[in-house]
Amino acid sequence: MERAVPPTVPLGQMEVFQALQRLHMTIFSQCFSPCGKFLAAGNNYGQIAIFRHSLPSACSLSAALSSEAKEESKKPIVTFQAHDGPVYSMVSTDRHLFSAGDGEVKAWLWAEILKKGCKELWCRQPPYRTSLEVPEINALLLVPKENSLILAGGDCQLHTMDLETGTFTRALRGHTDYIHCLALRDRNPEVLSGGEDGTVRLWDLRMAKEVQTIEVYKHEECSRPHNGRWIGCLATDSDWMVCGGGPALTLWHLRSSTPTTIFPMWAPQKHVTFYQDLILSAGQGPCVNQWQLSGELKAQVPGSSPGLLSLSLNQQPAAPECKVLTAAGNSCRVDVFTNLGYRAFSLSF
Amino acid sequence: MSSESSKKRKPKVIRSDGAPAEGKRNRSDPEQEGKYYSEEAEVDLRDPGRDYELYKYTCQELQRLMAEIQDLKSRGGKDAAVEIEDRRILSCVHFMTLKKLNRLAHIRLKKGRDQTHEAKQKVDAYHLQLQNLLYEVMHLQKEITKCLEFKSKHEEIDLVSVEEFYQEAPPDISKAEITMGDPHQQTLARLDWELEQRKRLAEQYRESLSNKEKILKEIEVKKEYLSSLQPRLNSIMQASLPVQEYLFMPFDQAHKQYETARHLPPPLYVLFVQAKALFKPHEESQDDESDSDAEEEQTTKRRRPTLGVQLDDKRKEMLKRHPLSVMLDLKCKDDSVLHLTFYYLMNLNIMTVKARVTTATELITPISAGDLLSPDSVLSCLYPGDHGKKTPNPANQYQFDKVGILTLRDYVLDLGHPYLWVQKLGGLHFPKEQPQPTVIADHSLSSSHMETTMKLLKTRVQSRLALHKQFASLEHGIVPVTSDCHYLFPAKVVSRLVKWVTIAHEDYVELHFTKDIVEAGLAGDTNLYYMALVERGTAKLQAAVVLNPGYSSIPPIFQLCLNWKGEKTNSNDDNIRAMESEVNVCYKELCGPRPGHQLLTNQLQRLCVLLDVYLETEIHDDSVEGPKEFPQEKMCLRLFRGPSRMKPFKYNHPQGFFSHR
Repeated sequence: MERAVPPTVPLGQMEVFQALQRLHMTIFSQCFSPCGKFLAAGNNYGQIAIFRHSLPSACSLSAALSSEAKEESKKPIVTFQAHDGPVYSMVSTDRHLFSAGDGEVKAWLWAEILKKGCKELWCRQPPYRTSLEVPEINALLLVPKENSLILAGGDCQLHTMDLETGTFTRALRGHTDYIHCLALRDRNPEVLSGGEDGTVRLWDLRMAKEVQTIEVYKHEECSRPHNGRWIGCLATDSDWMVCGGGPALTLWHLRSSTPTTIFPMWAPQKHVTFYQDLILSAGQGPCVNQWQLSGELKAQVPGSSPGLLSLSLNQQPAAPECKVLTAAGNSCRVDVFTNLGYRAFSLSF
Repeated sequence: MSSESSKKRKPKVIRSDGAPAEGKRNRSDPEQEGKYYSEEAEVDLRDPGRDYELYKYTCQELQRLMAEIQDLKSRGGKDAAVEIEDRRILSCVHFMTLKKLNRLAHIRLKKGRDQTHEAKQKVDAYHLQLQNLLYEVMHLQKEITKCLEFKSKHEEIDLVSVEEFYQEAPPDISKAEITMGDPHQQTLARLDWELEQRKRLAEQYRESLSNKEKILKEIEVKKEYLSSLQPRLNSIMQASLPVQEYLFMPFDQAHKQYETARHLPPPLYVLFVQAKALFKPHEESQDDESDSDAEEEQTTKRRRPTLGVQLDDKRKEMLKRHPLSVMLDLKCKDDSVLHLTFYYLMNLNIMTVKARVTTATELITPISAGDLLSPDSVLSCLYPGDHGKKTPNPANQYQFDKVGILTLRDYVLDLGHPYLWVQKLGGLHFPKEQPQPTVIADHSLSSSHMETTMKLLKTRVQSRLALHKQFASLEHGIVPVTSDCHYLFPAKVVSRLVKWVTIAHEDYVELHFTKDIVEAGLAGDTNLYYMALVERGTAKLQAAVVLNPGYSSIPPIFQLCLNWKGEKTNSNDDNIRAMESEVNVCYKELCGPRPGHQLLTNQLQRLCVLLDVYLETEIHDDSVEGPKEFPQEKMCLRLFRGPSRMKPFKYNHPQGFFSHR
């Protein structure tokens, strides 16, 4: 089958280099603004790009596909170099955007971020034990009740930082290998963390210690030794937790620590989240998977990247008509799904 | 005659008229004088009418007598015979009368005829006379007309007009008093004047002719003098050559060059002048000559084309080159020379160049390096996008349509490549998409581009030669890393380069793991494509390489496909993607010392190192029996990092451990 070769534009050195950069770009994290109109995306070169995501108030299917979605609107409004290393995770509060990468976390003001030459509000480093290599921060978690930010990553600890004072209050140890992901259990202020060592640990914030450990790889139903034992993604809904990674994507009942449903997905999943009565997951492979709680695959919606690393749902109450799902991963593109059934368009760095 | 015969019979007839009967008897002696009987005269005397009556009467009598005889004879009787005898005699008399009357009638007739004949003759004579006279009259009239029409020769001569004549002629010729009144005299006078004038002018003419002859002779003499001067000057120049050489002033040689250069078409001339200007202070690095084929310039042969070849000839005509060309030899530091020959296509108003690289030592070309130094592609894309396969002059498209040439690409091997920088060096500027009627060669355009282009050309040749050498080594499976690049890699590299071959552009596009590069527009047909195979144990890593003609400022691009425990490419394995990124995006640290010709080999070496790291850091699958195929020998701080669980691909010198970027 002949593949159509696009016509080549005469490329000088700069153009070739930029094209190569875009080809090898990975978007690790995304975050919606508090108003819901902007989407921030962070990539492996340390850049953060802000996309305007607002759709007209009619926000119907036709508007999404109409001239509003022109080429220019698919490009970021502003791109700036946030970190020296990759931006692995981002979270947003009412006024701030926190981005974390190679060992440091930076805060940005949403109000300022659209202006050119924006500088971070502050930049903090949690206290690390080792100094040989700077550990990365893989996950950020906001705990609104405490007004604190939890960081977890390469040094196998969870650090808590108080947002008012900016000091690091706790350092929770327990993992034997670096931590991939965090999830917050609302009712009792507990934090779940999943790591490379294959365990999911629950931490009680008030008592600052580990409450429960689930060794996922030891359960035969879900373990997949050829993929490894690492836990790449976590999501929790009070009593229930879904996690995946090397082992298969599984739904657990937390109190009894038993796996209830195994989702038959052979590709390791990198991000999972609860949405209404569905579970959305994404990982190796270009599709966003929608699962019923019973374990059935409801839909597989293909995106434009060969592998996905993060999903983001715009559920801000301020813009109820702009409920969209965005997915990004091993490419320079962010796929926007206005209706969860198909990919509407892609934003691109 | 008839009268003679009638005279002889006459004696038998008894005439009623007495006189004439007597006359007759005397007739027997015609010569007797006296009265002789002439019936002719009698005819004149007798009245024809009365004769006619007599005749009628005689006939009646005769009839009566006959009738009586008849009666008598029929009645019979005796006295009948006497009666009959009387009547017979009477009848005989009547017969005699009748005969006379007959003779008279004949004579009258004859007379009448004779008279008529005579009259007729007279009339004929008069008639003839009339004819003669008329003829003569006509003749005379003709003669008169001829005389009247006679044109004398003097009327053919163009004489000056009368007024002029009177003005110019001297009075002894014009004789105005006489000639004014008499046109004949006037004409004579005019003729005289004409004759005199002509004689005068003829005299003048002869004088001028003789003058001219004299002057011609003088010119001849002077010419000979001059032509004898030229060889003398030449011999002086020849004699001065040794002196020039002695003083290191190759004036003569340069002069000859400039002489031929004057015949160059404008763009080539601009190029020649600018190149000379640029390289004046550095004589040794450039050798510039204009190659002349002067005889070809002067003779143009025209063959009558056969019908079948006419279109072909038209095309050849359109693509005809100017017979003069400029050869530029660029010498690089390592004694390799780039020979450039610039041509000018007259009808298309563009310049083309043919390139050739020669080295100080003989090069053995490795198989994969076939295209590197080939004249067709060695100068391709000197500036980005300048592939030299299309004519840069937009006006040429209309000319091509007329003779059915689709594109210049088919002819570039023969004619040379019409690169854009060649046009700029010749001072020709073609504004895009706007066919200009005439584009003239501009010196300022050429001079502004000359230096950069020469530098680029030298860099290009050197990088190609460097690649040439590297390829020879790569084909043998050795990655040649120079000593000043050793710090980039660990001491021990186990993975080996096993294969290095050229692949075609179409084959590259068809590979399943090169989709991204093709879609990004980085895999055009001006690039060179290669396939490298790196092996360690059971693992085989295929690398498809895109080599841009602008190497080494534009880096080669690698796309990887690893066959080990399944097929891994950048679409299903993040670490393969990271390896590609290490080689493609982080190429600047691999350039090595300037001018960076080591980039490709360093990239290949790094690829081997990356494969080592990848294979050694792969987590061992506990469910599978047996030891790890590749024990970890590399020193790594951490095996995995980040959400994508990247392997430590970055090599740190001089500590020698691997970490993550």
